[in-house]
Amino acid sequence: MKPYLALIKIDLKLALRLRTVIFFNYLFPMIFFFTFGTVFHAKQNLDGITQVITMSLALGVLGSGLFGAGIRALQERELNILRRYKVTPITPGPLLVASMVTGWIVFMPYIGVLLALSHYYYNMPWPQHMAALLVFISLGLIAFRAIGLVIASVANTMQEGTILVQLLYFPMLFLSGATFPAEFFPLSLQVISKFVPATYYVKGIKDIIKSNQGFNFSYAGVLVLTTVIGFIVGMKLFRWEKEEKIKGSAKLWVAAVLAPFLMMGIWESFHIKNKVQPAPRMEKSSAAFGDNRPRL
Amino acid sequence: MQRRSSWNGLHGFRVRTGLDRNALPQYPRQTLMSTEPVIFVQSLHKSYDKLEAVKGIDFQVNAGEVFGLLGPNGAGKTSTVEILEGLRPRSSGEATVLGFDPDRQKQRLKDRIGVCLQATNLPAKIRVLEAMDLFASFYTRSLSSEQLLKRMQLWDKRAANYETLSGGQKQRLALALALVNDPQLLFLDEPTTGLDPQIRLEIHKLIEEMKSENRTVLLTTHYIEEAERLCDRVAIMDEGKIVAIGTPRELQQKSKSQSRIQIVSAQPLDSNSFPQWPDAVDSKLEDDGRTITVYSTRPARTLFEIMKWLDQKGIPLEDVHLKKPTLEDVFVELTGKQLRD
Repeated sequence: MKPYLALIKIDLKLALRLRTVIFFNYLFPMIFFFTFGTVFHAKQNLDGITQVITMSLALGVLGSGLFGAGIRALQERELNILRRYKVTPITPGPLLVASMVTGWIVFMPYIGVLLALSHYYYNMPWPQHMAALLVFISLGLIAFRAIGLVIASVANTMQEGTILVQLLYFPMLFLSGATFPAEFFPLSLQVISKFVPATYYVKGIKDIIKSNQGFNFSYAGVLVLTTVIGFIVGMKLFRWEKEEKIKGSAKLWVAAVLAPFLMMGIWESFHIKNKVQPAPRMEKSSAAFGDNRPRL
Repeated sequence: MQRRSSWNGLHGFRVRTGLDRNALPQYPRQTLMSTEPVIFVQSLHKSYDKLEAVKGIDFQVNAGEVFGLLGPNGAGKTSTVEILEGLRPRSSGEATVLGFDPDRQKQRLKDRIGVCLQATNLPAKIRVLEAMDLFASFYTRSLSSEQLLKRMQLWDKRAANYETLSGGQKQRLALALALVNDPQLLFLDEPTTGLDPQIRLEIHKLIEEMKSENRTVLLTTHYIEEAERLCDRVAIMDEGKIVAIGTPRELQQKSKSQSRIQIVSAQPLDSNSFPQWPDAVDSKLEDDGRTITVYSTRPARTLFEIMKWLDQKGIPLEDVHLKKPTLEDVFVELTGKQLRD
């Protein structure tokens, strides 16, 4: 237990000393929060602020998971920091757990700030299922950090890692409904969206904030399964030194960690009726962009 | 009564560090008998695909010994050391370190050894004392970070970020981290490479202090003078094999190289007048016309005879040099390579 606590403590201290961590965890998503809050007229309608807060949470979680956990782990290997740990008795377990716990602790205040701004500045009512929301966001954060750590494990160089991260980051941001509501996607994109991991994170949050549906156990289960697979694969493929190269075929392990989302996509596509709807016409969808509908 | 170790500080004054080892939790009963070697290697092989990096080497290191592995790049030193540290599996052969098998008992072994690697780093923003406390948490027992930092002259830097330390300070911190679990066996991989001569001397003193504390040290180095100064015994490796092993003195004596005697007279000399000095292999007059260079297998006797001859001839003497074969001469003779090839 001693190394776990020591690593969490030092990771937290290091995170708070890095300006880039503060910028990308707090300031960068905030810029989007206010910009899209204005675009979506978030002060005037619940749909708008729901979209904005969901997007901000998705930005934060994807950034924390893929860049914060994944790229940072790669940096530590490239800089020979992990090589120094390798000669001590610790195993990859404490390092991976510390990365996940630290990411969660750093992210929690951001959620508080977002909810407070949404409530006090954009007049969003407090979510009825606050505990469910916090647990769901936490599960999402840990799951995406696990994906980030798997990327770090299968990438041989920083360049490879950056490409893999970008290949996942942008599709997840734009096809999950985080930045643009999925209801407005054409049918083909709506089908693709069901296979995008971040979709279930976005939908789960929207369900809790907007529809007051509480905790979606299916979506939470997928996130937990992803975390478990990610942790096991991360442990199995963990490399301490940049000279230890991994075969190109090992990159397929990323598919393994994404498998729960693929299965969920297949399930939703074939077993749940009326899930794919033609995109509503723009005049009917104006609520999402801030009509003068009475606030809920 | 608590046992407290003392040591000589870097600048010559004696410092009582009070490294309190009695207060540390004890390791489980030692599997190693006191008479057994700390490191035992027999027919050790290591292959990477088709490349055979280590080709069946044998050696052992005894308790309290500083043992040096010398060799050019690609000689197999790093592979050997990494096998012994539990970082790499061996292909075949026997190896035990502190009584543990480095392949099968690597976590227990790593808990008991100290390692100072070349080319490692710590996070840029980690502070010196934080790094010590972090690494202390990885082991079942640890020395006081404060005492170790004071010993390494780093206590004043305890709040400094790692990125702000000089090269010498980083290396002293690396040594402090290697000592944090109070290891009886230390692996030092090129501990002074890239450091300026002053800092290299400081590190040498620290290694000598480790030796005086009866710690066993396995040192790899490119610097011949470092091996000559610090090592009780040296193994010279080349192309995956040990080509010579022994004390630096034994290796020098085994060398076919001859000692070189240089005599500088105060007046010009005639080389035709030189007699055949006993045990001299070769002699010549240098271009300045006043310096005689003689190569001898028994330099003391040859030198005596030369001095007698100069005295008989009434030739005034200006300077005398005697140079024995160095470990580097031995190394070149055995491998046909320079150490930095």
